[in-house]
Amino acid sequence: MLKLLAFLTLSLPFLTHSFSPDHPTDRRVLVLLDDLAIKSSHSLFFKTLQSRGFELDFKLADDPKIGLQRYGQYTYDALILFSPTVDRFGGSIDLAAILDFVDTGHDLIIAADTNASDLIRQISVECGVDFDEDPSAMVIDHMSYAVSDTEGDHTLIASDDFIKSDVILGSKKIEAPVLFKGIGHTINSENSLVLKVLSASPSAYSANPKSKLSSPPLLIGSAISLVSVVQARNNARVLISGSLSMFSDRFFRSEVQKAGSADKHEKSANEQFLTELSKWVFHERGHLKAVNVRHHKIDEADEPAIYRINDDVEYSVEIYEWHGKSWEPYVADDVQVQFYMMSPYVLKTLSTDKKGHYFTAFKVPDVYGVFQFKVEYDRLGYTSVSLSKQIPVRPFRHNEYDRFIPAAYPYYGAAFTMMTGFFIFTVVHLYNK
Amino acid sequence: MATRNLGALLVLVLAITIREVASVFQPISDSHRSAASELFTPAEGSFGSLEEAYEALRSFEILGIDKPDIRGASGESVLDKLGSSSSAPKDLFYALKVNSILKCEVNKEVFEGIASRLKAVVNGASSLLDIYYSIGSLVLIKNQSSEVDVLLADADGIFRSIKSLSQSDGRWRYSSDNPESSTYAAGLAVEALAGVVSLASSEIDQAMIGKLKRDVSKLFDIIEKYDDGAVYFDEKVDQSPLSTTASVVRGLTAFAAVTSETLKLPGDKILGLAKFFLGIGVPGNTKDFFNQIDSLACLESNKVSVPLILSLPATVLSLTKKDQLKVKVSTVLGSSAPPVTVKLVRAFSSGSKDASIIPSQELKFDKESRYHFLDVLPKNVDVGSYMFVFEVVLHDSEHETIYATGGLTQVGVFVTGVVNIDNAEIAVLESDKSVETQKKLDLAGENAVSLSANHLQKLRLSFQLTTPLGHTFKPHQVFLKLTHETKVEHIFVVGNSGKKFEIILDFLGLVDKFYYLSGSYDLQLTVGDAVMENSFLRAIGRVDLDLPEAPEKATRPPPLAVNPYLKYGPKAEISHIFRVPEKLPPNHLSLAFLGLLLLPLIGFLVGLLRLGVNLKNFPTSAVPATFGFLFHVGLAAVLLLYVLFWLKLDLFTTLKWLGILGVFLLFVGHRILSHLASTSSKLKSA
Repeated sequence: MLKLLAFLTLSLPFLTHSFSPDHPTDRRVLVLLDDLAIKSSHSLFFKTLQSRGFELDFKLADDPKIGLQRYGQYTYDALILFSPTVDRFGGSIDLAAILDFVDTGHDLIIAADTNASDLIRQISVECGVDFDEDPSAMVIDHMSYAVSDTEGDHTLIASDDFIKSDVILGSKKIEAPVLFKGIGHTINSENSLVLKVLSASPSAYSANPKSKLSSPPLLIGSAISLVSVVQARNNARVLISGSLSMFSDRFFRSEVQKAGSADKHEKSANEQFLTELSKWVFHERGHLKAVNVRHHKIDEADEPAIYRINDDVEYSVEIYEWHGKSWEPYVADDVQVQFYMMSPYVLKTLSTDKKGHYFTAFKVPDVYGVFQFKVEYDRLGYTSVSLSKQIPVRPFRHNEYDRFIPAAYPYYGAAFTMMTGFFIFTVVHLYNK
Repeated sequence: MATRNLGALLVLVLAITIREVASVFQPISDSHRSAASELFTPAEGSFGSLEEAYEALRSFEILGIDKPDIRGASGESVLDKLGSSSSAPKDLFYALKVNSILKCEVNKEVFEGIASRLKAVVNGASSLLDIYYSIGSLVLIKNQSSEVDVLLADADGIFRSIKSLSQSDGRWRYSSDNPESSTYAAGLAVEALAGVVSLASSEIDQAMIGKLKRDVSKLFDIIEKYDDGAVYFDEKVDQSPLSTTASVVRGLTAFAAVTSETLKLPGDKILGLAKFFLGIGVPGNTKDFFNQIDSLACLESNKVSVPLILSLPATVLSLTKKDQLKVKVSTVLGSSAPPVTVKLVRAFSSGSKDASIIPSQELKFDKESRYHFLDVLPKNVDVGSYMFVFEVVLHDSEHETIYATGGLTQVGVFVTGVVNIDNAEIAVLESDKSVETQKKLDLAGENAVSLSANHLQKLRLSFQLTTPLGHTFKPHQVFLKLTHETKVEHIFVVGNSGKKFEIILDFLGLVDKFYYLSGSYDLQLTVGDAVMENSFLRAIGRVDLDLPEAPEKATRPPPLAVNPYLKYGPKAEISHIFRVPEKLPPNHLSLAFLGLLLLPLIGFLVGLLRLGVNLKNFPTSAVPATFGFLFHVGLAAVLLLYVLFWLKLDLFTTLKWLGILGVFLLFVGHRILSHLASTSSKLKSA
């Protein structure tokens, strides 16, 4: 019994999971597959994850023993759903369990495919992504397909319309197109958390390649998203792809030539694209933390409890980015601080020393009340940094106004000469004879 | 091939719409060779274990790649393992396997020692794995050194003891006290039994071998099937389908090699197994890679039936490039097949199943490239997607028992070509269909027509598409897109009537759909098809629409997607505008006025002096004089207090001092004033 207790107390701290700045390296990933053969046919993708230190736990999606949590604690940090056809997960996993998993800040990768099951579609809809409702629809593109001797129906798409974001796709430019074969989706335009990472070309459309079109397809042109990511407000990240085969070794190794282009690339960009994207999804990039938020009057070191209007204050914060193994200083030139009461009174871009330290100085406005120092840093692909620190601002005290106003000297002078005159008058009046 | 699963899935999907899309399986090619060199990389000159070393060496041997130089390190550990008397059968087994490839010098005595030890293990073992490794090792010793006596005296007994683990459905148990039966174990058992047969000093009971044959064919009853013809063995626990199938294939081929009688198994099952291994593509881990390559090598040289794979290097044929239809028949590892004829049995368009467009014919054979080819596609083959049905016929009728060709093979082929676009024109029509403006379009080049129309008019776009053979071509994708200035898009499918593609947009019926948005609309036409080499997406021009005002209940245009790049940019800076301080006169003006203010005091003093003031009334006696003096000092102190109040004191201190001074002043003031009053009254009365 004692042993068990000791084990529990020792192991419990390690069972908490989602990405947290306190222990950012706990990375256990549950991979749910339709078929264990995917483990081998998609091994390059899994290998890139394993080489980065992730522990992958492969399970069949209908395995009755799977579960995301045990005794109320999540046993995994992330979930990869490579099971597009699964109608029901085994064990205790269902739609609600997966949504809870994401709601508690865990990461998710979903690969759907043609004939994706309703369950996978529902999970995607909850993430703000709508797959084409036609189960046999595929993304077809008769202009930017990948030239192939054996695939003639133009459903193997070579897309190079990437999101322009170094944080999501890495700083190295992706030269070759990405191969994609599968189902397209759209993102809800009112959902600001979803981003299209890989879009289809304007000539693409989503339809069943084998049947004649009578009405315009629902998904068409660049509105089709092939791969999207979601960053929830709790910084959980979700990757949704309409193609499972784009993760496969075959696509990773395949050479690619986009139709109408003379460039033949020896290797498709799938490996680079998905590796970089998975780094982002698993918080190896673009996860910021802000520490050492300080503010004080110029030439003072301590943080006061209250400021007076017109005080000159200095504000500083340190921002770091997680780089898979360590926190590195975050370098940017667009971090802004607001001095805020109902609306920003001052909004200033912080200067930086390029080592993660951001600072600025400004004068407190001549309005008193309860203000906040606010840093609302929302950048494409980065976790949002939202800091606020409340601080009251008071007006001048009665003795803090100017005592000697030159313009008032005539009045003072009048009073004092009057007083002098009065003194002399009293003496003269009393003792004159 | 993509994943097995995906392949199956796609086939399932497509099977609903058109049946029989056959997957083309490609034999092992250079992509496997480069992948093998990448996968099997020895760390610091040696592999982690002898098992891994064997898998790498065996794969390299099969693929014909130069072995990496691991001879030294692996050879040493082989000799180590063989020399040690405590090596487990499994270690010995892999050491001998590696040695069979590396061919190290091993003493006869070492072999003899191992052989006698293993024989003891075989006789006493109850676990299938122990027997498997021991028998396997003995077979390897037999192959490596002819002088060592490895023959089993009691082969029949051993055979029976292994056979006793078999189950009624053809599967095997790992040991007598383990009730679970396994297909993987069946493969191991059959391979071990094959070893026993080859090691037997006397003939094995033929009845036993007959029983084993029945077991093997029973195993094929539980085989699983993919829709593309691939078959495999599945194991619910522990082993993946690949390793299970590989184990069965190894056992099967080993057994077929040692029995004198032929093992009768359906050829399409063997071909299905080959398809299964080929369909995996290039596996990403060493174990799977080895299992795939090793099993294919077993199938390549097995005695049951050798599968022949029909593959097409290209299934997309271009009419403009005059591509030839080429077919290659090879064994699974890509080596050339025995002399065969490939017959094109039929070819039909995917849409209609009946009419064959190409008469049944034999393909010509090019000895150099080893391709069977159709010289030129017949004249009546137009662009489109077709199903070609091939049959492989072996020249030598004796070969029919050796090779499995799988009967008819159906392959989907796309024939692509350039489609002509003619008579393209765009027109604005009046409501009575009379033409208001009409413009010709050149859809092969750039267009920039500019039209204008109101809601009572119509827009007509028409063009013709013809295939190289002059038939009407109906592409899959013919979309006309109208984009309003505000990026609201409307898409129409252009239909065809007979030869002509035509769309008439009647704006009167469309005003609601257009959200009553007047203004300039960009026109864009997309025509595309899988077999159309000149698919295009082209801006045609624009049309200025004059639509009526929107009624109140009209639907609003949908919200547009926000550009994420703009949404996340930094905000404009805000700086607080401080209250402007009151305007004050300049200092010197104030000082000048201060100077002026001194003038009345000076005038007062001068006046006093002029009047000749004196202080003769000051009391002369000591006590009143003191009070008088104190009174004036007090007054001066009060006035000084006022100066101090200005300079530094606050109101409370000032009032406190003023109170004290006030009492003092009251007292001394009263004394001096009453004194002065009494003196003046005395003076008056006097």
